[in-house]
Amino acid sequence: MKIETVFIDEALPKTYEIDYLISKVKSDPQKIKSIKTVYDFINECDDPISKAKQTLYITENKGAVIRECPGTSFYTCCDYTILHTGTFCNMDCSYCILQAYFHPPVLQYFAGLNTIAQSLKKIFNQQKLFRIGTGEYTDSLIWEKISLLPKFLVETFAKQNNCVLELKTKTINIESLLPIDHNGKTILSWSLNTPGIINSQERGTASLRARLDAAKRAEEKGFRLAFHFDPLIIYPGCENQYKKVIKLIFQHVRKESIVWISIGSFRFMPKLKQIIENRFKNSTICYGEFILGLDNKMRYFKPLRIKLYKEIISCIKEYAPDLFVYFCMEDEEVWKKCMGFFPNEEGELGHLLDRSAAKLCGLNPNLL
Amino acid sequence: MSDTLCEINIRDIDLKDKRYKISFSDDDITFLAHTIKKAGLTILPVVRPVNNKFIIISGFTTIRALIHNNETKVIVCETKKGITDYQCLLKSILSLSIQRPLTHYELIICTRRLNQFIDKEQIAKKSGAIFNTELNARFVEDLLTIGALPESALKLINDSYLSIKSARRLTGFDKETIQSFLSFFSIIRASNNKQLEIILYVMEICARDDIKPTDFFNTKSLKDILYDKDKDSVLKTKEIRTWLYEKRFPTIFQTQQATLKKITSLKFGNQIKFIPPQNFESQQYTISFMAKSFKEFNKKAKMLTDESNTSMLKEIFNQ
Ligand code: SF4
Repeated sequence: MKIETVFIDEALPKTYEIDYLISKVKSDPQKIKSIKTVYDFINECDDPISKAKQTLYITENKGAVIRECPGTSFYTCCDYTILHTGTFCNMDCSYCILQAYFHPPVLQYFAGLNTIAQSLKKIFNQQKLFRIGTGEYTDSLIWEKISLLPKFLVETFAKQNNCVLELKTKTINIESLLPIDHNGKTILSWSLNTPGIINSQERGTASLRARLDAAKRAEEKGFRLAFHFDPLIIYPGCENQYKKVIKLIFQHVRKESIVWISIGSFRFMPKLKQIIENRFKNSTICYGEFILGLDNKMRYFKPLRIKLYKEIISCIKEYAPDLFVYFCMEDEEVWKKCMGFFPNEEGELGHLLDRSAAKLCGLNPNLL
Repeated sequence: MSDTLCEINIRDIDLKDKRYKISFSDDDITFLAHTIKKAGLTILPVVRPVNNKFIIISGFTTIRALIHNNETKVIVCETKKGITDYQCLLKSILSLSIQRPLTHYELIICTRRLNQFIDKEQIAKKSGAIFNTELNARFVEDLLTIGALPESALKLINDSYLSIKSARRLTGFDKETIQSFLSFFSIIRASNNKQLEIILYVMEICARDDIKPTDFFNTKSLKDILYDKDKDSVLKTKEIRTWLYEKRFPTIFQTQQATLKKITSLKFGNQIKFIPPQNFESQQYTISFMAKSFKEFNKKAKMLTDESNTSMLKEIFNQ
């Protein structure tokens, strides 16, 4: 969605990063004292979520810049580290959890390359491997065309060897990154879905072909890649559609460039259902066979999840038997039935991912 | 000038004019007629003079009882000449609301009529004085929205076939869909929660399968249950809910049925409870029994051991 209104925190110091951003947004930002002004502006509208997607608030991160990913105790988590660079997104996916996560959601851009650099320095100095991503509360590359941040991150990560940066996106905004000497420390990753789901549920995102073409271009520049089949949506004929997507991946890029592929099925907080019904009148994704999961989120009935996962995994393995495929938020039964093993020990899944990252991205193997 | 007491001929009342009638219960009036005969009138009807006739503002049932008693005259409160329609409406509502709380149906009728004179905020503001109870603007709005449904919907509400919440839910649908649901709810008998569940499942199935609700209600297997003369409305409701659940959650339903069949085939009778994990999300089955003595404990433990040697128990756990 196009940014219509820009607010800026009046306390922000004037920096080149901000000047650059403002010059690109092509809209005069309104200086404000507090985020409350943005809340009020968004909330007075009938559809605050859509309004929020068109309202950018440039501010600084007032909380922790680096956080651990909030997993749950019932489903296996991958020990990801989040670099908190902003919130919300100007694309519009029906299933997006962020619609229900923030009250109200605010499209925030956290300025402050120095703050980020300082936080990262502490991580880079540790004798431990980290997989760090910016795509937990936003899409990693929505601001690539107007911001110096993605470029800065790729360059910063290129100078160390215990961390890998994953930029997860549904855009094809990679132009400014392609010429950079990334030293293999940045994984460009795309969330993928079937063309039917992309067309009907992912407003404003790039098409499947465009995403894969972008991945191919990134690969040509030596970037490591990752793909995320999350959320898988179950609908009649979906198995074949997902298999076609998998085939397309391997038609576009070499299996050796892919660090990992994750798989997760659609799950949602119960309150998201009403939001989807209100904002996406033609969407039927909530009308699958869902049950209330152990984490109080709605999930597809387990036998249905397992059936689809098995098909997808065996299809991936046909093309790339050694490629590391993992589940996002699944339990022991699902792992064992679909993968034949379960990363039982605490941190085991994280370790497997670290191994893959170390191998393909040239991280320090002694830290494994 | 206030209302005046006077005696009028019952034949001078235009009984067909029911513009102020709110309560539509067809209660037996024999008891009321008998009481009036013995004790006289305790609450006087209120009438309004219109074109050499009187129209009733309140006391419709009393007049019916008097006619039942073959009375020809009645003492009434006659409203002043210049009274407005709005004032008459207020009188008609108040006369009932001070006797008892209005039913949902009556509230719908009253708010709909009041809305011809005042808006929803004013209705809510004056609700204490009019209805003898406070109604918030949101509820008044709901009543008005429901009031726009076809008359058959209001009749179903009045007859307790349709809850106010279900009616509110129906207001969001197109005319044909509303009509289909109204016909459907006139045949079955379900509580509010069950009605809402039915509406939810029907609409979700239709959205998922891209069919019109009107076509859905024409499904043969649904009609077979709905129009089965040998089933009462309660049994029909039960069967329809199961049928709908199966349609809405086919895999879950089949898994539940298959597991139930397997559990029933275990030789536990009602001695040992064997409960599968809820929604089959976890892998934890609950097995429990009670024992009053060591002998009984041993007996039930043996039942469990015997059964664990059969393939069925293994199959249940490994499914
Ligand atoms: S791209 Fe990601 S963050 Fe953006 S709307 Fe879609 S799901 Fe949400």
